[in-house]
Amino acid sequence: MPDTDVAELNGHKPFKSLFGLALRLLWRDWRGGELRLLFFALVMAVTSVTGIALFTDRLEKALLLESANMLAADRVLGSRNLPPELILREAESRGLRTAQILSFTSMAFSDTGNMLVAAKAVDDSYPLRGEIIITDAPFTRGVPILSGPPVGEVWLESRALPALGLSVGDSIYVGEAEFSVGKIIIAEPDRQAGGMVDNAGPRLMMNLEDVAATNVVQLGSRVSYRYLFASDDLAQLDSFEQWVRDEYEGEYRLRDVRDESEEISDALNKAESFLLLGSLFSVLLAGVAIALTAKRYGERHYDYVAILKTFGCTSSQIMTIYLSIQSVLAAIAIVVGCVLGWLVHQGILQMLKTVILVTLPPAGFQPYVIGSLTALICLLSFALPPLLALRETPPLRVLRKDISQQKFGAKVPYVFGLVGTVSMVLWYSQDFILTSVLVIAVAAIAVFLSIISYLLLRSSGSVGMKAGSAWKLAMTATRRRRKQSVLQVMVFSITIMSLLILTLLRTDLIDDWQAQLPENTPNHFMMNITQPQIEGIQQFFEVNGVVGNAFYPLISARVTAINGDLPDPQGDLGADGEANTLTESAQSDQGETDEAAAQSGSQAEGRGETRVRGRLSRRQVTWADEVPSGNRITAGTWWGENAEAGYVSIEEEYAGWLDLKLGDRLEFEVNQQLVSAEVSSFRSVRWDNMQPNFFIIFSPGTIDHLGATFLSTVLMEREQKILLNDLVRLFPTIVVIEIDALIEQIQNIIAQVTSAIELISVLVLISGGLVLLACVNASLDERFHENAILRTLGAGKKLILTSLLIEFASIGMVAGVIATLGAEASRYYLQEQVFEQDFHFHYWVWLSGPLIGMLVIAGLGVNSTRKVVSISPLNVLRRL
Amino acid sequence: MIRVNNLLKSVDTSEGVLTILNDVSLTVAKAETVAIVGASGSGKSTLLGLMAGLDGATSGDVELNGHSLAAMDEEERAILRGQLVGFVFQSFQLLPSLTALENVMLPIELKGDPEADAKARQLLERVGLAERWHHYPNQLSGGEQQRVAIARAFATRAQILFADEPTGNLDTATGDKVIDLLFDLNKEFATTLVLVTHDEPLAKRCGRIIKLVAGEIVSDEKNEDRVSA
Repeated sequence: MPDTDVAELNGHKPFKSLFGLALRLLWRDWRGGELRLLFFALVMAVTSVTGIALFTDRLEKALLLESANMLAADRVLGSRNLPPELILREAESRGLRTAQILSFTSMAFSDTGNMLVAAKAVDDSYPLRGEIIITDAPFTRGVPILSGPPVGEVWLESRALPALGLSVGDSIYVGEAEFSVGKIIIAEPDRQAGGMVDNAGPRLMMNLEDVAATNVVQLGSRVSYRYLFASDDLAQLDSFEQWVRDEYEGEYRLRDVRDESEEISDALNKAESFLLLGSLFSVLLAGVAIALTAKRYGERHYDYVAILKTFGCTSSQIMTIYLSIQSVLAAIAIVVGCVLGWLVHQGILQMLKTVILVTLPPAGFQPYVIGSLTALICLLSFALPPLLALRETPPLRVLRKDISQQKFGAKVPYVFGLVGTVSMVLWYSQDFILTSVLVIAVAAIAVFLSIISYLLLRSSGSVGMKAGSAWKLAMTATRRRRKQSVLQVMVFSITIMSLLILTLLRTDLIDDWQAQLPENTPNHFMMNITQPQIEGIQQFFEVNGVVGNAFYPLISARVTAINGDLPDPQGDLGADGEANTLTESAQSDQGETDEAAAQSGSQAEGRGETRVRGRLSRRQVTWADEVPSGNRITAGTWWGENAEAGYVSIEEEYAGWLDLKLGDRLEFEVNQQLVSAEVSSFRSVRWDNMQPNFFIIFSPGTIDHLGATFLSTVLMEREQKILLNDLVRLFPTIVVIEIDALIEQIQNIIAQVTSAIELISVLVLISGGLVLLACVNASLDERFHENAILRTLGAGKKLILTSLLIEFASIGMVAGVIATLGAEASRYYLQEQVFEQDFHFHYWVWLSGPLIGMLVIAGLGVNSTRKVVSISPLNVLRRL
Repeated sequence: MIRVNNLLKSVDTSEGVLTILNDVSLTVAKAETVAIVGASGSGKSTLLGLMAGLDGATSGDVELNGHSLAAMDEEERAILRGQLVGFVFQSFQLLPSLTALENVMLPIELKGDPEADAKARQLLERVGLAERWHHYPNQLSGGEQQRVAIARAFATRAQILFADEPTGNLDTATGDKVIDLLFDLNKEFATTLVLVTHDEPLAKRCGRIIKLVAGEIVSDEKNEDRVSA
């Protein structure tokens, strides 16, 4: 009979007592330094993710707010006809703020003169976003105001006052009504909105209630109506947008800033992708750091668990104890990480306060939730596997040190890590392409390293440590620790790769933005110039110290036949092709397209078809001697200096749309005459550079005789704008389109996102540095042990340090080479698929990647292990 | 107390099946002190591991206080160990991040005993390390570490104590002192002691000596010349 009752052997211990024990073990482990690395890795994960999330959350809100200023609202409904009042009422009933604008072009008269003005009548709620800057004297700094002119008063842009001989308080006449000049407008939020024609001339702003008295707006007048909507509740805006779409079956559509300005939308999208990528890398790196430290923690606890098991601890009790330790650790790390994350984001804001000019809206709770969930996911996917492995520790290990981890130790941790990483990246990005790029890049590195480890395995024919020379000692050490070496190379490669990808993308993005709108970008378009006026305009600029640009002939043309057949467009044009070029928006009446689209029944395809027909029926074309800037020949040849008539160069997407080939003969109808030309080249065009761009360019002599007007651009600083008055007085037929406000706004936004991108790069760099440190630390025990033995056997300081240096440097170099390969491949994919940029080879990376890898890893490695030669070998051996 | 029946342990190696223990049977009575001796590789540590339930046998059975280990899985064996068994190892197996006191407290805490601290201090005093309670293992000498390990082994009042080469890492003088302590406590607590050693003087202090050669018991004798402590 058993001496002990079986009931006594049920091993049941209440959770409370196990948890209490876990807490005591946690404290003892902490005090012994075992848990600190893991804790710091967790805190780093929460801090970096929360910090970045807080910053991006607030910055994104600020950027949206800033962008919303361009519309003076969050959403806008524009139409050539008065949209139903019901739309406004519905918006108000949903708690949205609303405003109305009516724009038209009109002559304004004073006692001494008259001029064409861009009139804008606004109601008392305007503007819903942003502010109007007004002043009392022309061309002076103004003060912000949150509403438009009162009834009976108009506000004018500075330039209009000298042109009309007016001062504040004087009378001005629009149509049949007389107004008093109340204020001078220095800036208004949606200056560029409403299409180019609405902006031909200085602004005259009036109260909506005064429009009727002017009697200018009659049935059939060319006016544009805009309803503005704003709300802090995005969901409310979205649902209202849906209501409008459903209620009016697409006849009316709400637009946001992304619809309004492709340039800004593009900058915002790219910045968002970049910030997202930055956060992804920082999470990934934090995950790697946690995996490394948890692995080391697990290894160090292997004997610990074996002893606990000999004392009678069951596997499930071991799990309860370790899960409790990890949960408590995670909870503390989350709290500390969230606080530090908040401080980090405050620090970032402090650094950027000169750049971020808008007031940042407060952040929501989401960043903290994201940071906390990151810690939990990291812990589950990276730290749990080594702990699960602990569960399987055989108690026999207390007697036999050669027994290593079984079953769980082998593959499951990788599966956990992989699943955890992929789901985390997918969760963050909500973007399959980004996820697949990251996963493929990391997987490729893993495969590549497996091959390298295989090769190392084959070449390891040598015996012993080869302690005779530092070089051989280092090489045999690398081979002997093949598994760890490969793991280290993998971690170093992934870290260096992440940093390289971000750095390169950052450089390319910023370069691209700077190239898009360089400092001297012309900010005024002059249209409707006749040939005889060109010389006079050039002289005018010369006299006044303004640098003019080339004059492009402009003429309207339509493709009527391709090789004798009717054109047969292929599907839809790309996004760039869909948009009217700046020249076309200005020359034609943009509203017509919108209106036609609206009337066509709304759906995207419906609008597309209308546009396709519109595009085929008429285009603004030009002729030129040289390839315009921002254009690149992608096929065929450009006519040289001795250009012959009868050739045409087509923009590549447009050519694809019409299924054109080089050598095709096109028939055009130009000013009611038929012209034939052969396709001699295709071009890529940089549409977002705010410059005159053309789908179709003829060789000189082909259409010159058919009567064209000219278009030119000019850069005018704010203080030079007064010259526009003289210019239009001297050349009354020309139309000047002012896009300076738009360019300035785009440049502002780009400057902000550039700073954000720089900063995220630095944050990820710091995370990367910490991972490198964690990875070096993870292999310290064995190195300490081996080198302590070598020292007891009489190896000198120099030999050991040199061998360590060589070992780390070679691991760093291999990692650098692989990282560079991975970074260039990922960047190629990212730039093609996500950032829509042209991929350029960065030759310097191929040198600097491996070099940086070598220097950084060697520096960190030797710095961490050099203690081995300063502490007595006995101490080292006893410690391990 | 301990009954070993036809115990067989074999492992698969690249050169075929290797038998480590072959048909070993023995019985150890309550409070008996048994030394298992033999050359390196004779299977003595494997036998100790199987008797203590640290590993499973290929065939045969071990009964501890009437509980058959063969019928138990690792979880049940762990519970049984917790109730019945204490250990002393050649390499001490103290946890480096715990102080001497905490190392002794650990098995008491695992049992959920609220008086772990007091009991552990009492034992440390008993092994002569009351003043060193706050020292970490790497701050203690080998002999001191083994004394802490002995205190820990007796901490839960285990009925059976297994010792694997308890003096293997100690010099003769220190080893003698540690063994004196081990046998004193063993007597005091009336514990059954099974120890594995190839140290002849140590074996001679046990009441019975079992000799293993190539995994088989070649002699099992009462030690009439037992050296008393």
